[in-house]
Amino acid sequence: MIRVLLADDEAMIRSALAALLRLEDDIDVVAECADGTEAIARAVELEPDVCVLDLEMPGVDGVDVAAQLSRRIASRFVVVTRHARPGVLRRALASGVAGFLPKSRGADEVAQVVRKVAAGGRYVDPEIAADALTDERCPLTPRELDVLRVGRRGETTGQIARTLSLAPGTVRNHVSVVLGKLGVGTRQQAVLIAEEKGWI
Amino acid sequence: MCHAHTLGCVHSKPHPRGRGSFELARGIWATWWYTVSAVVLFEVFLITAWAGAWATPAGGTDVDLIVLGLGIVWLIATFWILVAYRRREEQGPLLPRRYLPALAVCVVVAAAMPFTTGSWLAGVAFLLQPLVILNWQRGVRLRVVVAATAALIAVAFIDRAHAATSLHPAAWAVGVAFSIILPLASVTSLWWWDVLVAFDRARAVESRLAATQERLLVATDVHDLQGHHLQVIALQLELAEKLMGRDPDAALEQIRAARVSVGEATQGTRDLAMRFRTVSLADELANARDLLQAAGIAATAEAAVDIDAAPADVLGPVIRETTTNVLRHGGGRRARLALELGASGWRYEIVNDRTGGATDGDGSGLEGIGRRVAEAGGTLDVRRDAHEFAVVVSVPGEQK
Repeated sequence: MIRVLLADDEAMIRSALAALLRLEDDIDVVAECADGTEAIARAVELEPDVCVLDLEMPGVDGVDVAAQLSRRIASRFVVVTRHARPGVLRRALASGVAGFLPKSRGADEVAQVVRKVAAGGRYVDPEIAADALTDERCPLTPRELDVLRVGRRGETTGQIARTLSLAPGTVRNHVSVVLGKLGVGTRQQAVLIAEEKGWI
Repeated sequence: MCHAHTLGCVHSKPHPRGRGSFELARGIWATWWYTVSAVVLFEVFLITAWAGAWATPAGGTDVDLIVLGLGIVWLIATFWILVAYRRREEQGPLLPRRYLPALAVCVVVAAAMPFTTGSWLAGVAFLLQPLVILNWQRGVRLRVVVAATAALIAVAFIDRAHAATSLHPAAWAVGVAFSIILPLASVTSLWWWDVLVAFDRARAVESRLAATQERLLVATDVHDLQGHHLQVIALQLELAEKLMGRDPDAALEQIRAARVSVGEATQGTRDLAMRFRTVSLADELANARDLLQAAGIAATAEAAVDIDAAPADVLGPVIRETTTNVLRHGGGRRARLALELGASGWRYEIVNDRTGGATDGDGSGLEGIGRRVAEAGGTLDVRRDAHEFAVVVSVPGEQK
């Protein structure tokens, strides 16, 4: 019997998927959670074999849940999403997510992926992979991304320079190159674009 | 495809200042400073011409220095009026209230000129210049400039008959020439600036219009697509509902059909969204490498120099499919992707150290690749042995 934890903030989808998965002979849904925080608490308590996590949950998203749990328990993780934002598959794979599929897949397919992942395999849905491969490449260098990342909460140039051990002038140079590459006027706008595209 | 292109452009260059504003592009400000320097340079000529006229021995005392001093004050004041012009609005006031002191300074300087130099023309020239560069309405400025130039010519004649006869004729002629030309020259410069601003606005409006049309087109497509599918699904479900009591098997059949329709709708929506995603093969290869690396596979990707010439419509799906295969089966530690141009054409190769489970599930994917490649006149080779799994795709292409 594969013990599954299900986390999705949309109650209709969560209960329907849970009911459908329970119809499978070898799968038991042991917990249904409405958000990421609850999923982490229940997973630590129950140690399910597989956690099926919705990507778009308020607060802690599915990939974050997987990243936090993979260090604490031996569960395997499957992330489902309605719309895979750029960069999210890379982030998921790096966080130890073993399965990634769109929500449009039927419960029978989800069950197959759960079985495969429980057996130690990995499954990346072709659609999600195709999306990831057609992502726009990030035109920024790792250092420029560092500057944006460190300054994403509106930190001053001085603060960024101290955090990265750079001269303020160097930080200003990086920022001006970033603004030029992204065609925007302020660092805040550059941060927004980079976050939207999953670069930082 | 052209739709995809326009929308792509609009997306890749987000409008940083919001959609409603008419902010000017960055580059255009350089042109503004050229315009200002041209006007300022004309004014410097005027000041030096008049100061120079009295520097001749005939001028006597320090008239030239006084003209120079007044001229510099005047130059700074007119510069402020130009700065006001930069932010002008079409229907705005002649001069915003807070710039009025600059105009007052100009008037004072102009009034002081005849008393210092004895030349009415100098005074009128220094008075009219700041007036012509105010924010006149379209058409009005032309009349203002013509009137100013006429006035300057008239005053030059009066002056010639009276006070300025004591000056050297050549120096006097230079001063007169610059005085008369200045309003016309300044306004011409500003007119060029106005034309440029108009162009810039037209460009902004055009790109917004293109984006709007694109959005409308997409909205119509989405509406048609979803409307059609939802209608079909509604009918199938209604039929299933009616059949449920009489013929459960037929009802089940309709429910299955409805699920298939839902799948089609999803796929259609996705195709619509993907229509606007175009990515170069080089980016796709680099993305593939990044993904594999993120999955803990030591992956390398080599791309030919002129990779942009490769047939992306054939090779793109091949790269996607083969990378997905490597990803989904997992277990491997190494992968190598290469796309190169040889004597016989383009050759894409992906090799990984996956050994087990090579046959599970990827049969259909590879078949699809084979079909696609064959249509393009190429070949597909799959090689597997105890240590490696390799897919090699060759498609025709010419070496430059």
